[in-house]
Amino acid sequence: MIFPFPSPSPSLFLPLPLPPSFSDIWNNTWYPKAKDHINTEKTWYVVDATDKILGRLASTIAVHIHGKNLATYTPTIDMGAFVIVFYCMNKFSLLETCSYWYGSGFFLSNLTQYVNAEKVAASGKKRTQKLYRRHSGRPGGMKVETFNQLQQRIPERIIEHAIRGMLPKGRALFNHLKVYKGPDHPHNAQKSIELLIRDKRVQKQR
Amino acid sequence: MTRIKRGYIARRRRKKISLFASSFRGAHSRLTRTITQQRIRALVSAHRDRDRKKRDFRRLWITRINTVIYGVGVSYSYSRLIHNLYKKQLLLNRKILAQIAISNRNCLYMISNEIRK
Repeated sequence: MIFPFPSPSPSLFLPLPLPPSFSDIWNNTWYPKAKDHINTEKTWYVVDATDKILGRLASTIAVHIHGKNLATYTPTIDMGAFVIVFYCMNKFSLLETCSYWYGSGFFLSNLTQYVNAEKVAASGKKRTQKLYRRHSGRPGGMKVETFNQLQQRIPERIIEHAIRGMLPKGRALFNHLKVYKGPDHPHNAQKSIELLIRDKRVQKQR
Repeated sequence: MTRIKRGYIARRRRKKISLFASSFRGAHSRLTRTITQQRIRALVSAHRDRDRKKRDFRRLWITRINTVIYGVGVSYSYSRLIHNLYKKQLLLNRKILAQIAISNRNCLYMISNEIRK
């Protein structure tokens, strides 16, 4: 069994998976055994979605859930990782940092333009123009919402909708995505690591 | 014409067929008419998929190589690797490259660096 040693890419700083099991490496294409994809030993990643561009973030997350960033990728087996997405809707955390920087004379009215900052971002006029549609099944039952309205109502759904469209069909992989409003999530026991996003344009520009 | 009983001829034929389908699920291994149909479908799938297998594996190798090659650095990809391979006339095929990618990633990086020069 050949032991893979650390490579010079960013994966050096992430926990390396167990070396995959091999037999007759040159005549049989590697296929994962049961111990190569045990659910309890999969990596858990955490991402903070505040101020990140929706599509670019969703794309990276979907790649990690699907397992396409791993050399051991197999389309028929779920080799991907779990991803936790959280983001803060709380406008007061920005107020605290601002009053620290600018002193206590800082008025809330100055901040109104920043209140929308602590959410998933979308460039251009998508906040008011991007539509989310669903149909109840009955005639005339089409319901349409804008990005803004859906964000007021159920903000998790925006990220889930984006990522669901990027994953293969079926609930198995989609259930590996956990989205939470607010900075807390119940998965502290999983000891998740920060997800490195290589896309340079994922952060919203001001 | 004299009377001819069919006897065991049909049963013998069906027994051969049902041997083929003996590991199928439910009625597909128990009922004779279903067995003949399922056997035909199985053989058709096998025939078609023998050609698909070659395509599917090549796709899998390419995906695996691509994944590892993206780790080399900025703007290096599977397509550039293959271009360099052909330029240097290195005859490694995708199957071997994919196996190297999984087992010994650094080796693949070394090969790609050598070809790039």
